[in-house]
Amino acid sequence: MRAVPAICQLRIASRAFGKTFSMRGPNTQFSRRRFLQSGFCGASLCVLGVSTAGSKAVGAGTPASQSNPLVYNVDQMTGIDPTLIQYEQVRAIPGVGAGSRRLAIGPEGRLYVAGRKGIRILETTGNPVGELPTSEPARCVAVAADGGVYAGTRTHIEVFSSKGEAVAKWEQPSPKTWLSGLSFSSSGLFAADSGNRVILRYDLEGKLVRKIGQKDPQRNIPGLIVPSPYLDVKVGADGLLRVNDPGRHRVDVFTAEGDLELSWGKPSLSIDGFCGCCNPVGLAPLPSGRWLTCEKGVPRVKIYSAEHALECVVAGPDLFVQNGRPGQVSDQPDGTLGGLDAVVDSKGVIYVLDLVAGDVRVMERKA
Amino acid sequence: MSPPSSNPNNPSRRQFLKDGARIAAAAGLGGLMGSIAMRSSAMNTVWQIDPQKCVRCGNCATHCVLEQSAVKCVHAYAICGYCQLCTGYFEPEPNDLNTGAENCLCPTAAIKRTFVEDPYFEYTIDERLCIGCAKCVEGCNRFGNGSLFLQVRHDRCVNCNECAISKVCAGDAFRRVPANAPYLLKTTSHGL
Amino acid sequence: MRPDANESGLTAAGGPENRAARPRFNPTLSLSVLILLLISTVALAQQRFPPPDFESGHKLPLTTTPAGRAFIYEYVDVAVLAACIAISVFLIYRKRSRAGLVGLSLFSLAYFGFYRKGCVCAIGSVQNIALALFEPGYAVPVSVLAFFILPLAVSLFFGRSFCAGVCPHGALQDLVLLKPIKVPAWLEQALSTLPFIYLGAGVLLAGTGSAFLICQYDPFVPVFRLSGRALMVIAGVALLALGMFVGRPYCRFLCPYGALLKAGAMVSRWRVTVTPDNCTQCRLCETSCPFGALREPEEVQTTPSVLRQDRRRLAFLIALLPVLVLGCAWVGDFFSGAAAALNPTVSLADRLAAEKETPAKSGALSPDDLALDRARQNADEFLRNAEAIRKRITTGSRIFGGWVGLVIGLKLVGLSVHRRRKDYEPTPGDCLACARCFEFCPSELVRRGFPNGFASQPLDGSPLEPALK
Repeated sequence: MRAVPAICQLRIASRAFGKTFSMRGPNTQFSRRRFLQSGFCGASLCVLGVSTAGSKAVGAGTPASQSNPLVYNVDQMTGIDPTLIQYEQVRAIPGVGAGSRRLAIGPEGRLYVAGRKGIRILETTGNPVGELPTSEPARCVAVAADGGVYAGTRTHIEVFSSKGEAVAKWEQPSPKTWLSGLSFSSSGLFAADSGNRVILRYDLEGKLVRKIGQKDPQRNIPGLIVPSPYLDVKVGADGLLRVNDPGRHRVDVFTAEGDLELSWGKPSLSIDGFCGCCNPVGLAPLPSGRWLTCEKGVPRVKIYSAEHALECVVAGPDLFVQNGRPGQVSDQPDGTLGGLDAVVDSKGVIYVLDLVAGDVRVMERKA
Repeated sequence: MSPPSSNPNNPSRRQFLKDGARIAAAAGLGGLMGSIAMRSSAMNTVWQIDPQKCVRCGNCATHCVLEQSAVKCVHAYAICGYCQLCTGYFEPEPNDLNTGAENCLCPTAAIKRTFVEDPYFEYTIDERLCIGCAKCVEGCNRFGNGSLFLQVRHDRCVNCNECAISKVCAGDAFRRVPANAPYLLKTTSHGL
Repeated sequence: MRPDANESGLTAAGGPENRAARPRFNPTLSLSVLILLLISTVALAQQRFPPPDFESGHKLPLTTTPAGRAFIYEYVDVAVLAACIAISVFLIYRKRSRAGLVGLSLFSLAYFGFYRKGCVCAIGSVQNIALALFEPGYAVPVSVLAFFILPLAVSLFFGRSFCAGVCPHGALQDLVLLKPIKVPAWLEQALSTLPFIYLGAGVLLAGTGSAFLICQYDPFVPVFRLSGRALMVIAGVALLALGMFVGRPYCRFLCPYGALLKAGAMVSRWRVTVTPDNCTQCRLCETSCPFGALREPEEVQTTPSVLRQDRRRLAFLIALLPVLVLGCAWVGDFFSGAAAALNPTVSLADRLAAEKETPAKSGALSPDDLALDRARQNADEFLRNAEAIRKRITTGSRIFGGWVGLVIGLKLVGLSVHRRRKDYEPTPGDCLACARCFEFCPSELVRRGFPNGFASQPLDGSPLEPALK
């Protein structure tokens, strides 16, 4: 009696269970019309499902209204008081070449652009005048009073006569040399060597005379901090060198003999300071001891008075939209390349080279 | 093996059709496999971010299928400027250049700042804390050398069939790379 | 001059540098790696802007490159899959053991589900295959190919043995099944077309590189990963709750890979039978299948008038088939817009075309605006590219529509074909080979050496016969 095995009881129980829950055997004999109706309903449900799923996925794929909550936003800190902007863009000289780095202006008033293929010479109207090909991409350029051109590549300086003939190729001063700025003066040629964090003073024969800006506690020189190849040097009308110290966000003033006279500038995103971690990146002298500075990251060109106070703004980030978004420009082989360089002609017109857009903006004082 | 149930009326015809279909299906599968296998004789692949296409949109932090994204910020020290004022570490306008939380950019404090020597500081990423939001990457790229960049970390990545981030990547920076070279590290910052 | 390899300023790393990051393993190896690195740094020193000279002699740390899961484990996965399928076939056809299959299901759930997090899975592999077929640049990983082929090839011989106890999705649903209720036949038949339609949609979207729909809307992978989109977590839990009463709802009514396996199983060489030898028509197994796969014996009415009517209907439905296919292909055209919107390139191109004239925004951008900005860089090429994709999607949508029509038409034809069945037997396409029905068959119990003559023993003193009817 009790010998009925458990498994048999299970069978019987489950059968009874099946009956209770009306689990009848599957029946294939059902109305086709019912199937068609249900099939139609099912199909329309499926269509509905797919389309809603589709629209949801569209929402996920292109988050139209979604903004990045962790965005790195400098907009609210970089607004410029419009009354400070005293220059306006009168025209642009497009297509000065991809990979252009520095700009110089010759005594005859022509623009010299250091770029991938060498030095391009342009009229200020934008008419190309000539090219001086260099053996490596040119990174900086200076024009002598007699019209001779000094082109700096990464490692060395190439000299061209005023007629455009290659005259000399100076040897590489050091294995780490990374030239990024040139300036000509009567006391010689000054080259900014970002790689060695130093300014090289050459005589016009190409002989290295002196190294300026090296760390020297005895002369109270802290040494330049150059995180990236943007060191610039310009000789002012006073014969003193202005060297940007991007790591310290200031401009150092050296004598041609290498003495540090003074430094000015402070780090700040606000308009009177130098923004980011490595600025300014370009300098240009103006009459009466005023200086023009260029910044990258938040691209802006500003003028400082002889007392090193902010005088006015030449151009803000609005003018250099792509430049303000470094590394977001896909045709740049180097994601971080950005920045500006500027020169001033004798009439006070400012030419700003946009490294990302590859054009020169001609800025004139507002009427 | 149980014998196949056959229809007593026309077993041969049904069976023939079934066998034929099976053979056709097997042949089709074989052909499909062959044609695809020819192509997939190439390397196994994993997902990776091309740092030069990355636009730091922030989607990596939010769209990975994992709870904490497999995308992390990594540091190419050789490109780093070791700046005292690191825009990848500090808020855009810090009150002071110290490690106070109010000065720091990283939402999870995943970047460690250590003094090397005057005036240089070294920055390292704690990947346990990093969420891959790319805020520091943007700061570093905008002003600095771009030594901070995003990479899919393969000790975390589950190598989905189709990377969920890749479909929303604003820079179209995700791509499949050979599994034996699974990283795309930056080596230069200022090329040319 | 820069060597070409460094033109991009990138290096593909992982192999040697990864080892260098952990140099304690092998001194000779790390030495050779160091030399290699030294050579490469010398080469790179030409290009790379020099980092600061540290007076303290501080050494630059290396960027770490942690390795992923070693690829040998992918082959381990394939081996485990093959072994599991073999065991499954053995358990179903030789041992006829439900208990064994439950054990295998638990293992599969643990390994493919919770350990491998539901990836790689056979269901999703369909999309890789589709992408590989239409995108020549894409190479399917060998393991994915194996996950696609193995269960399908086995289905041609042993039916859906993969579904029985190897697929983690199936195992999960199988294990939560508590009180199966019968789905009305009309609903069951209608819903059983869904997997084929889902399969078509999945192939369309994967093949055009738009989306891996099947992965995106997988309800159980979030369960395996214990994280995921809220929508899919809810869907997974809801399906599992439903699965307590409706046997394996995903497998039967959604799974696109199941659709393929179903097709394979329909022509499989060997089939699951309830009885190990002869059916005695005892009807004990009648209610045993929770998946509605068990069919009762069916006698065909042989009245000439009925037969004529049936034949006429069948002929009509077969004639309807091309009409249905063409009609649905025409309807499918309307889907192309929705399908194209799922493609990130096409949807971005639409935005680009709409906003081509508006100037680029400045300041902090949303991810969307950044994407637009990227597309602008090479707008014409981008638009051309998107247009090519859109064309493919339009063609694909028409084919998808035709496919839906074919599925519906074939279903109708299938329902109009009479199958003579004299035994209780599972329909080979629908049978998930779970082995539940075996234990219901008295012949099976006998086969297992169950004590003979148990039926004559009364239960609790009452005669057994009435209870069994």
